[in-house]
Amino acid sequence: MSWGYFIRRLLAVFLVLAIVTFAVFAITTMLPGNAAIMILGEYATPDAVAALEKQLHLDQPWYAQYLSWVAGILHGDFGTSLRLSLPVTQVVGEAFVNSAMLGATALVAVTITAIPLGALAALKRGTGMDLGLGLFSYLGTALPEFVTATLLLVFFAAPQHGLFPAGGFVAPWEDLGGFGAHVVLPAATLGLVLMAHISRQVRSEMSEVLSSDYIRAARLKGLTERRVIRRHALPNSLAPAIAVISLDIGYLLGGIIVVEEIFAWPGLGRLLIYALENRDLPVIQAVTLLLAAVYALSNLLSDIVIALLDPRVRYA
Amino acid sequence: MTLQTMSQDVIATAEKPALSIIDYSLSYKTANGLISALKNIDLTIPKGKTVGLVGESGSGKSSMAWSVMRYLPPNAVETGGAIRLAGEELLDQTPFQMADIRGRRMSMVFQDPSTSLNPTIRLGEQIAEVLMRHRGLTKAQAWAEAEVALARTGITRPKEMLQRFPHEASGGEKQRVVIATAFACEPELIIFDEPTTALDILTARQILDLFNQLRDETNVSALYISHDLGLVSRVVDEVSVLHKGVIVERGLVGEVFAKPSAPYTKQLIGAVPNPDRWIGVDAPTDPKTLIKLDGIGVHYGAPSKIQKMFWPEDAEKVGFWGAKDVNFEVRKGELLGVVGESGSGKSTIAKVLVGLQDFQGNLEIEGKTIGSRKAIDRAYRRRVQIVFQHPDASLNPRQKIGRIIARPLKLYGVVPREKIKARIAELLEMVRLPAEYADRYPHQLSGGEKQRVAIARAFAAEPELVICDEVTAALDVSVQAAVAELLVKLQKDTGAACVFITHDLNLIRQLAHRIAVMHHGKLVDFFDRPDARSQDRDPYTKALLDAVPVHTPVEAFEIA
Amino acid sequence: MRNFFSSPTAIMGTALLSIVLFAAIFGPMIAPYDPQAFDPLNRLQGPSLTHLFGTDQFGRDLLSRILTGAPSTVAFGVGATLLGVGIGSIIGVVAGVSGGWVDSTIMRILDGLLAVPDLLFTLLIVTILGGGMEHAMLAVSIAFAPGMARIARSAVLSVRTRDYVRAAVARGESGVYIVTCEVLPNALSPIVVEATIRVSFAIMIGATLGFLGLGAQPPSTEWGLMVAEARQFMFRNPWCVAIPGISIAIAALGFNLFGDALRDALDPKRSHG
Repeated sequence: MSWGYFIRRLLAVFLVLAIVTFAVFAITTMLPGNAAIMILGEYATPDAVAALEKQLHLDQPWYAQYLSWVAGILHGDFGTSLRLSLPVTQVVGEAFVNSAMLGATALVAVTITAIPLGALAALKRGTGMDLGLGLFSYLGTALPEFVTATLLLVFFAAPQHGLFPAGGFVAPWEDLGGFGAHVVLPAATLGLVLMAHISRQVRSEMSEVLSSDYIRAARLKGLTERRVIRRHALPNSLAPAIAVISLDIGYLLGGIIVVEEIFAWPGLGRLLIYALENRDLPVIQAVTLLLAAVYALSNLLSDIVIALLDPRVRYA
Repeated sequence: MTLQTMSQDVIATAEKPALSIIDYSLSYKTANGLISALKNIDLTIPKGKTVGLVGESGSGKSSMAWSVMRYLPPNAVETGGAIRLAGEELLDQTPFQMADIRGRRMSMVFQDPSTSLNPTIRLGEQIAEVLMRHRGLTKAQAWAEAEVALARTGITRPKEMLQRFPHEASGGEKQRVVIATAFACEPELIIFDEPTTALDILTARQILDLFNQLRDETNVSALYISHDLGLVSRVVDEVSVLHKGVIVERGLVGEVFAKPSAPYTKQLIGAVPNPDRWIGVDAPTDPKTLIKLDGIGVHYGAPSKIQKMFWPEDAEKVGFWGAKDVNFEVRKGELLGVVGESGSGKSTIAKVLVGLQDFQGNLEIEGKTIGSRKAIDRAYRRRVQIVFQHPDASLNPRQKIGRIIARPLKLYGVVPREKIKARIAELLEMVRLPAEYADRYPHQLSGGEKQRVAIARAFAAEPELVICDEVTAALDVSVQAAVAELLVKLQKDTGAACVFITHDLNLIRQLAHRIAVMHHGKLVDFFDRPDARSQDRDPYTKALLDAVPVHTPVEAFEIA
Repeated sequence: MRNFFSSPTAIMGTALLSIVLFAAIFGPMIAPYDPQAFDPLNRLQGPSLTHLFGTDQFGRDLLSRILTGAPSTVAFGVGATLLGVGIGSIIGVVAGVSGGWVDSTIMRILDGLLAVPDLLFTLLIVTILGGGMEHAMLAVSIAFAPGMARIARSAVLSVRTRDYVRAAVARGESGVYIVTCEVLPNALSPIVVEATIRVSFAIMIGATLGFLGLGAQPPSTEWGLMVAEARQFMFRNPWCVAIPGISIAIAALGFNLFGDALRDALDPKRSHG
């Protein structure tokens, strides 16, 4: 891969993140309610409020606040949580690890099932299996996470005879089995939407590749069907599939908010809802920025993988 | 000679023909019922011979190729007949057996090498995989063999070419790779499906020569499918003419040319441009300049102001010149041909002339100098109209024909509002379309009809110059001739000048008074039509002229 | 468009959409019970002849509640999408038509906004504006705008290089004519298709906001809120969460299928079926 391409993409990611910091800052400063009053309570004296505002730099113009905030981020300092009175880095760091475990479980499970399923459906176009997958994928995309989660709870976590716990979290380094039991339902909820979407995309990419001239040419060279699929068709439909997966990480990051709330999973989503309810500005900012960064970086990663798969992009 | 005695004759001379198709019929299942694609086809290719299959789009010639290769879409219904490869019935083979035959005993060369090669696999592997599949070679052996195969196709550094990806090779190189793959396992039969149509004139000529050379070396039998009767006459021994799924004529290529018996063949031969048959308007007796191009240049990807400030020495190297220092003039009432291969800059000049492209240099129209695209005003635009190559793309699919033609009338106020309707009917009649077409949408018309509408729209403005950018290239041969004749008639009626941009040298020599030749963005030659064959032509012009088959019946007979 | 109804997607989509729209228009009129009427003796009943979909934790008739909730659910989806499509399309068309630095500036900003997940974006805006249906709707439409702008821009760009637009430029047509008569009519179909599909997302996000307590407020019969309120009782009567959940899915599915079928019918080259 040419370094120029990589550097261009990396610069684009930084640009995106710079714009995100600005957007996040703009939105969060627009949030109603005075942070100082929220911390001190409604009956705080004006002097105390003014003192705290000074301490939080709220008395400065917005651009000064923005610059000192960005400067702090660049030093790894996201400020202090207004509610929890802990460094944001610590609060968000823990939640991030928990969310990452949930997201990664869902993503891995989806990737290893959705790609083969989509490819198979494209190969067996018009058969019962293809139609079944089509139906499933439409249903999957039409069910909001909270409905899926609720239905899964009804079926698999009823109080007397439930297969899985209805919520909560156990760290895998404490009890791997417990982690497994707790992760199944939230990961399944997240995975359903993703699987529906990714398998459908893989199917449509694969069908397009299968009807291309070069696949026809490969078949007319007398190559075995196995080689036509594995060497000619699959690699070429994989690149678009990866692009779709990386875009779907956006969905995943949104879905995680609801799913964590429902299953009481102590991750970024739950933290965000807590912070939003309590106007904990530094935490809201940090979580939003982190989610956007994860999304932008996963897009970068997918671009690199695509470049490795497709020589036309690699040398462009 | 009747068809029957003909096929008996062939069977008698070669006991086991490489391919024999006997009474074969094919239909497609569609929403509107069964549609017949091929009807009672009889075709025999004797060992070591090449047979041409000629037909226009929709004639069923591609279906024939798929039938022979046994690669038919699921909605195809074969309604009888036989296809035999060296006496062996192909219709009875299982898909598994067919996979073994394809690539080994018969192979295929496709129309467009840029889509028939897998973009993510190195060229070497794409040749080698066939050798590994059918000749059981190891990977190393197959790559070595692939190098030999590629060297035979005249690629100078085959080893290096094997390592490249398709996008790193030129169209001609890619087609050589496809041909090398087809010949790799020394098959008994190769099907060539329009192998030069997607290539440039000179490259096409080289590929054609390569085909002849390889055929002589290997003695392979071939089915050569093309829409171009003239081109086919250079490579085949026998030709069959296919029209609407029926073979209407067959015979030795020279005889078919000299004495076509079927009306359709006669029409087809008549439509093939013959450079010696002048059909253009009379040259203007008193040549007066209409438009002068003075040092026209177009710099694509030109450096920005900042780049120019810091690296002035790079300014020439950045980007590329679509056209550079082009000077010529267009005279009133004449037809000026501009020829060149793709990327020669001929379409760039068209865009400059109609104000679609920023340019350097000056355009002079009757003494008035225009120094930039922005300086082109509506009065100029009315005087200079354009007709594009693809009528599908140049007519707005959401507007009715009447509205499309009315637009220039309204925009320039050519006729008073109340007379617009009558004028539309007149214009439609001028391009020989019924007046009712005003109420139709473009998709309800055929390609040739749509191009007539585009021409009517251009002439609606009552222009002094019409730019025709490859207007016949997307049309079938017989339609091409009609459109060319229509243009000439309109020129005669209106006295407008025409810049006719084309890659078809035979066609342009039928129409143009003067011809400009472009190559790599530069004007390399400019001459009066009768001087086309004179000795002081530029070498590039000569190469182009030599590359194009000219086929008067007599000449074709000599080749055969 | 002629063969629109030849695909199963189109038939299913149209059928579901008809049901949803019927419920949205006539739902409150045909509801058999008062959706807010308590019936303490018949709490958390399963489906029966008297209560076709059963009753909720207060004994309210679920069918009536679903039917009265339909107009607001559909109106929310359609309204938020229309607003978002409107804002987004204007931005996208401006970017696509102007090109140059205007285009690249707009696109960079959109890239930044698109990096924030839709739901998160919506949550932030809802928090700024405060809860409630109208605010939630505005928030969803703002969150949709960047994505729509991108689609509108690419639609405009793909049309802009067509020969009929070039022909109009070569004729010397005014910019307004070219944009309104040549570019927009042809760029419209991808925008319409995308908008149809997005209605389903808007319905889902709206329900999610209701579920989180940030959208519709009790005693509204908004479907997402119904799921949230019944969650405590879901093990005693699964119907009271399943019915509103499935209703949301049917509404979303209807718009989704219909949009996909529309795309296939308008552009036969891209088959997603």
